Amino acid sequence: MAALSLTRRGVLLGAAAALATTGVAKALTLAEIKKRGYMTVATEDDYQPFEFTKDGKPTGYDQELLEMFKKSAGFEVRQDIIPWTGILPGVTTGKYDAAVTAILVTQERMKTLDFCSPVVESIDYYLKRKGDKKIRGIKDLNGLSLGVEAGSAMLKMLPQLDDMLKATGGKLGKIVSYQGYPEAYQDLALGRIDFVVNTRLSLESIAKSKPDTFEIGEPVSKPTYIAWAVVKGNSELLATLNAFLLGTRKDGSMYALQKKWFDTTFEHMPEAPTADV
Amino acid sequence: MIPHGIEVLWEQRDAMLAGLATTLAIAAASAACAGLLGLLLFALLISRIRAVALGLTWLIDLMRCVPFMLFCYLIYYGLPSFGIVIGNLMAGIIALTIYNAAYIAELLRGAFAALPREGIEAGQAFGFHGWRLLVRIILPPVLLSSVPMLGNQMVQIIKDSAFLVIIAVQELTFAANEIQATYYVPFASFVCAMLLYWGLCLAVEGGVRAVVAMAEVRR
Amino acid sequence: MGTGDYLALAAGAGNTIAISLLAIAIGTPLGLGLALIRWGRVRGLDGVVATLVSLLRATPAVTLVLLVYFALPTVGLEVPRFAAGVATLTLGSMAYNCEIWRAALLAFPRDQLDAACAFGMPRGLRFSLVVLPQIARAALPALVNEMTLLIKVSPAVAVIGVTEATRAAVRIGATTYNPIPPFLVALAIYVVVIGFFVATQRMLERRHRAGLFA
Repeated sequence: MAALSLTRRGVLLGAAAALATTGVAKALTLAEIKKRGYMTVATEDDYQPFEFTKDGKPTGYDQELLEMFKKSAGFEVRQDIIPWTGILPGVTTGKYDAAVTAILVTQERMKTLDFCSPVVESIDYYLKRKGDKKIRGIKDLNGLSLGVEAGSAMLKMLPQLDDMLKATGGKLGKIVSYQGYPEAYQDLALGRIDFVVNTRLSLESIAKSKPDTFEIGEPVSKPTYIAWAVVKGNSELLATLNAFLLGTRKDGSMYALQKKWFDTTFEHMPEAPTADV
Repeated sequence: MIPHGIEVLWEQRDAMLAGLATTLAIAAASAACAGLLGLLLFALLISRIRAVALGLTWLIDLMRCVPFMLFCYLIYYGLPSFGIVIGNLMAGIIALTIYNAAYIAELLRGAFAALPREGIEAGQAFGFHGWRLLVRIILPPVLLSSVPMLGNQMVQIIKDSAFLVIIAVQELTFAANEIQATYYVPFASFVCAMLLYWGLCLAVEGGVRAVVAMAEVRR
Repeated sequence: MGTGDYLALAAGAGNTIAISLLAIAIGTPLGLGLALIRWGRVRGLDGVVATLVSLLRATPAVTLVLLVYFALPTVGLEVPRFAAGVATLTLGSMAYNCEIWRAALLAFPRDQLDAACAFGMPRGLRFSLVVLPQIARAALPALVNEMTLLIKVSPAVAVIGVTEATRAAVRIGATTYNPIPPFLVALAIYVVVIGFFVATQRMLERRHRAGLFA
């Protein structure tokens, strides 16, 4: 078993997390995981560019970070790729030890989950059809129908967009909740909805792969952080994951991956995630 | 954990009930349309014109090999390739209507085949032809004997409406899934949805029994 | 559609067939078991089985698969994804099969049973030699019909992420924005598989009507 190298900061983070109140006791602690020999993680099945399938193999920013973690973990890491709506409930009820997927850090979620060190910074943007003259700025979004993923933080953050629209005398139109973003993008292309709200990084990915169909608009939310999560109180596992993540920051491998997948790096993220939302 | 689930469900009851209402509305609308379309198809199925009857039989057989979920996707994501773009609610009702109309036509035909020939021949001897033969002589016994199977089909429509969650229709299963994804209460949420579907089906079965009882009295 | 896409569809078809066959293989005898419990009027269990069957027959496959996969772990029952799909289809099929077997059992002539008793046949032998062969023949067309219904409902497992034929087709369509070709291939796959079962059912019904069976 590889020796776990905990940096001082990792230890401090772990202690801070341990001070948090304990939550559901069903998830396995680090010691139990080591005894069992493997750890279970859940990943979303189609959320570009964080995790998705290409030619039958899972790939993406989170996926590559996870591959690096698997090498250094010292125990087996079993990955289950499932739809978004099953991931967070799966972690809080103990079905999975960790959710290794792009989760937006919100105050509501921090009540039941412990977030790892952030993997990216994010702002929600809107995506529209290329050449759609109806939408030239945020105030044109007034009353138009929009698509968003069911049960997502993007859905929760829509009131921020609503506030922006109210300031110019408008309001949000019809909200269509999809089981996953690919269906939302497809409907946007077909004209059933007028715009899709998602994190800027995901939107850039789809806009890049289909530049003739889509174009990105403007920010519709305040900046937030994206991080992996474990159930609240699972402090040692959190510490292990954080040690790994902070290590990738130190040796630059995280920033290299960010450059690869997002064309930009986020070098000033805090070590512990925070949320305004 | 389960008491907590029930607590959350009670707080979110509006969302769950809204989903139930949507399911009911979709099922009722689709059932009515499927019934009418099914009757029309049945009339064509027993038509004297062999080409029509044979062609339609073929189509209905093909339809019975298609999973409803795939059919739903075909209507919603496939039709736009031919220039027809419809909203998700409309697409769902259309898919449910066409799909179940095929089954209803088939089951009416089965009931018709089981009818004693004498009644129809007597009707024809008395000068009933075409439409009048169909409506006054054929349909009453066919419909009456089909009531339990039509009730079954109604239950099938209610269950198939759950598939519409894949095209973002906010019916009961969608509501249950959204509640559990936001508040992490999967057990309470889905058991509640299950019990609500059960209630709907028991209501349909009760209705079928009442209709059959009424029919017995009339006879 | 590229070769990668065709391979994905083939893999999806494989999953559909595997899940369906497993659910059929397990659900048919389980349905018989439940029907026997009700036929034997086992005290206490009779009501439980009747309620369970009624509940399962009323539950949509999509809702049931979400419950089995996401909710059962919270009460201690961990189920891996493929198994959850098979379990869901099995549960639904088992409930319908129970009613089919029960109808066959109820139509079974009592005098044969009485004759077997008069000959001193033990219960197990009575069942396997006298009852089972005949009710199996009587129930077969309806059982095969139920098998086709199971296959038609199998895409429901896609909502928990199992990549069966329909989901494979939808995925391809969602990236190419040209969904018709993969949909048509998936359609062809289902028509072939279900068509096989329907043809079998038709053949069985014809032989039944011709009186080749008791």
